[in-house]
Amino acid sequence: MTDSAFAVSAAMIPFGKHRSSSYVGLAVSPLIDALRTAGVQKSDVDAVYVGHSYGGMMTGQRITKEIGLGTVPTVNVDNACSSGATAIHEAYTAIAQGLIDVAVVIGVEKLTQFGGGTLPLSPEDREVKQGIVMPAVYAMRATRYLYETDATVEDLALVSVKARRHGALNPFAQFRQEVTVEQVLAARPVADPLTLLMCCPTGDGAAVVVLASERARNRLGSPRGMRVAASVLHSGQVEEGFRDMTKPEISYQSARDAYAQAGIGPDDLDMIELHDAFSIAELVYYDAFGLTEKQSAVSLLREGRTTFGGDVVVNPSGGLLAKGHPVGASGVAQVAEAFWQLSGQAGARQIEDARWAMTHVTGGGTAGLDHGACTIHIFEAA
Amino acid sequence: MTVHTEAPVSATIADLESDGLLGTFPQGRRLVGTVCDHCGQSMIGTRIVCSRCVGREVSRVALPTTGTLYSFTRLHVGGEGVRVIGYVDLDGDVRTLADLREGGTPLRPDTRVELGVEGDDWFFAAAAGE
Repeated sequence: MTDSAFAVSAAMIPFGKHRSSSYVGLAVSPLIDALRTAGVQKSDVDAVYVGHSYGGMMTGQRITKEIGLGTVPTVNVDNACSSGATAIHEAYTAIAQGLIDVAVVIGVEKLTQFGGGTLPLSPEDREVKQGIVMPAVYAMRATRYLYETDATVEDLALVSVKARRHGALNPFAQFRQEVTVEQVLAARPVADPLTLLMCCPTGDGAAVVVLASERARNRLGSPRGMRVAASVLHSGQVEEGFRDMTKPEISYQSARDAYAQAGIGPDDLDMIELHDAFSIAELVYYDAFGLTEKQSAVSLLREGRTTFGGDVVVNPSGGLLAKGHPVGASGVAQVAEAFWQLSGQAGARQIEDARWAMTHVTGGGTAGLDHGACTIHIFEAA
Repeated sequence: MTVHTEAPVSATIADLESDGLLGTFPQGRRLVGTVCDHCGQSMIGTRIVCSRCVGREVSRVALPTTGTLYSFTRLHVGGEGVRVIGYVDLDGDVRTLADLREGGTPLRPDTRVELGVEGDDWFFAAAAGE
């Protein structure tokens, strides 16, 4: 038997290019805001989990010391783009096992430190030595997807158009200007068939979520929030030969396990925040999450079934394409979006009567693996 | 009574000394692969352990020079000019990332391709007759 865990507060900075802020400068304000809105004192915190990939040694401790939050365990977590969500998973696990009552989860990343270009990958990796970069991986996924299905490059552009339309409603989004299909297709080519506007931007960000046991939640008197109904973390499995890049098995398996843990199916979801680092990913994940039993992924997209007013709102925040993707922060920011949606605090992008939310991030960039990590959470308004 | 055993001394693996994928074999210059002597798993590159059965008895082999292009992209970032790269499924079910040369016929997935070598550079291009 496991204890229930709840998100009781969330805070984040608007994602963007915050060149004058360090990891500490990015994360301290949302840390203070998340503690304050949760009604949590420093002495209430049992553990801190910090997701980042490029922050260097003791990133978490450098942040928490600024507010005198010490003594308790601080765990720094790296799982590439899944770092923040992995930190959530670790916090959830500790609460569910009854080891702790209150956990602070920080996701933070500063990508402007690299001055631009694609995400730095491990120089020890065989394919990185050969020159692979993340846009190329997703571009090859897209090439094959367009080859095997009736999807077109216009559909890839349509994903970006939807993301930007959602992001325009989100004060936390890096991009808040809408774009047209024509603008997306005419943008600078990055890795054919992907143009710049089909790729997530480089940016900086930080997000913080406070998780609590039911006992602590009652003690805090938290008015609104959400229950963690499923928390799943999978690692990639090496494949030396053929791999179907249009069916990333790590996301299929993680979704299957998450639905089983939550006791719901895809039809129950009101919203999904998924890993749309590149526009092709969104279409691929419609299949992986079981949204396409009745109609194809492109049909769902073209008919507006995955936007506001549709069957399930995919990436109401604007997703990685519009909100931005500061690697280690993204998984926590997705959970923050779910928290605001399920507690009626999402403002202009509020999904009416939202009850169930899924968040999904992967972490890639390793030869032989589809992705190195995949984290999926399902939340219920509570 | 306490039983004393000698702990195994694990050895380092000099994997940084075998970076390149192009090797010289009796049949000519080929991509380097590894085959597990125990279970027969084929793998790209110089490997010291089988990723399937964890066997340490493995052999260096020349990989097939032909295969099928799974997918590709023309990459406009990360270097000068446009670079065409793709995943090639070599005959024998080993996948490798590869530079691609485009000929008169545009590349498309499922094209049969073959290895080309120029100096220390290697690439795949559409096989003769494609």
